[in-house]
Amino acid sequence: MKKWRAGLMLLMLLMVPFPAFAGVPLDTVKSNVNGVLDVLRDPKLQGESGKKVKEQRITAAADKLFDFVELSKRTLGLNWNKFTTDQRKEFVELFKTILKDAYVDKITAYTNEQVNFTKEVPLSEATVEVQSGVVAKGGETPIYYRVIKKDNAWKVYDVVIEGVSLISNYRTQFREILGNNPPEQLLQTLRKKVGKG
Amino acid sequence: MRRREPRRDRRGICVIGWTACMVLLLFLFLGLTPLHAASDSPDPNTGAGVDVPAVGKQVEEAGPIPAATAGKPSDEYGNVTEDVGGGEELRIADPIEPWNRAMYHVNDKLYFWLLKPTAKGYKYIVPEDFRGLFSNFYRNLRAPIRIVNNFLQGKPGYAGIELAKFLINSTVGVGGLRDCATECFGINGRDADFGQTLGKYGVGFGFYVVWPLLGPSSPRDTIGWIGDWLLRPQSYVSSEWISPEGVGLYVHEKVNDTSFHIGDFEAIKGAAIDPYVAMRDAYVQYRKKLIEQ
Repeated sequence: MKKWRAGLMLLMLLMVPFPAFAGVPLDTVKSNVNGVLDVLRDPKLQGESGKKVKEQRITAAADKLFDFVELSKRTLGLNWNKFTTDQRKEFVELFKTILKDAYVDKITAYTNEQVNFTKEVPLSEATVEVQSGVVAKGGETPIYYRVIKKDNAWKVYDVVIEGVSLISNYRTQFREILGNNPPEQLLQTLRKKVGKG
Repeated sequence: MRRREPRRDRRGICVIGWTACMVLLLFLFLGLTPLHAASDSPDPNTGAGVDVPAVGKQVEEAGPIPAATAGKPSDEYGNVTEDVGGGEELRIADPIEPWNRAMYHVNDKLYFWLLKPTAKGYKYIVPEDFRGLFSNFYRNLRAPIRIVNNFLQGKPGYAGIELAKFLINSTVGVGGLRDCATECFGINGRDADFGQTLGKYGVGFGFYVVWPLLGPSSPRDTIGWIGDWLLRPQSYVSSEWISPEGVGLYVHEKVNDTSFHIGDFEAIKGAAIDPYVAMRDAYVQYRKKLIEQ
């Protein structure tokens, strides 16, 4: 009778869903980062011919890894509220393009290096920092991914490389522009940067 | 409620049953916590079905919902009610910005016209393994800086480890060419410099300074560099402060180091909207982290 009861307890234990089980953020980031790296390493996509397909695949892989809206909100902070809904959408798209253009080259350089995912540190109830290191001859570069849980998926909203937070870095730059200029001015600067201005 | 029934069994609590019960309750509690947090939210705008993106941050609905966001949470592009960035603001005073911006451009040109081509040529000629050996060699020579500053920062344990590493690498590692302490014995040290020590003692940045050749700094970290410079054995290769040997060694160290980092500065610059501000912020964040850890 006692054994039967223990067995029942165990069964019920297994049935209880626990959404924030440790390890999920790390595994998610790891597999999504590897998703990007796989596209970059794919021998079929090398050279000019595969360039377009490669771009599309990278975009798809990046959308899976990052939450660009959350990332944009946190970068702009309260300045986000000064933007109209349409301006917000345009900002997210432009910022996404800039980050992709800038960092794909950087990530490509890492394709042959070893990437270790070491641990995850809870930051708040819904956010976790997944720590990784890129090992190269010159030493190891720590890269931390800050992830947030939304709709049952963990997505990256900040990347911290060698202690330098991506969103803080852009926030400082945007704040200088938004200090004495309307949001349109920042959008114009970003359009120029991605070559649409 | 059905799940709690076994606990009400009056025929005594066996150890296994009791433990299982506690574990179950614990998981139930943990599993439900986020839901409670969401539903207990005081913000009336955060109703059912609208997820809460972050703790301490509520999102309001922003007027009419455009068709483009259909299928996504309706508040995705809504207002933020708090500054949700990522903690405290990191600012540094920049009273001599015109000078700093000018020096930023000088260093930018020095990098693209001089350092980068030199490092690229060097990288082409010298195999990676050799460059790795030089890298270890210069790192080993900086051991006195790490030993002294770990000690000054109240970490005599790490000072001892760095001393041991220095002794092992200088002997078994053939004059520091190999990092045998790490590779053979798995001994990991801790980086430390004098600017960091001063920061740990409570000395602030002061303000932002960009030095020609040397790059981003502050009065505190400039004093730090001088302190570190005095602890480098290379500084004493000649009786003069500036000698051909000393400068030669410094240039080689710099070129060898740069050969591993070609493209880093380009990436930062390419990604930035205002590269000067981006570099300044990166410097502040990087140094601040070193002092806090």
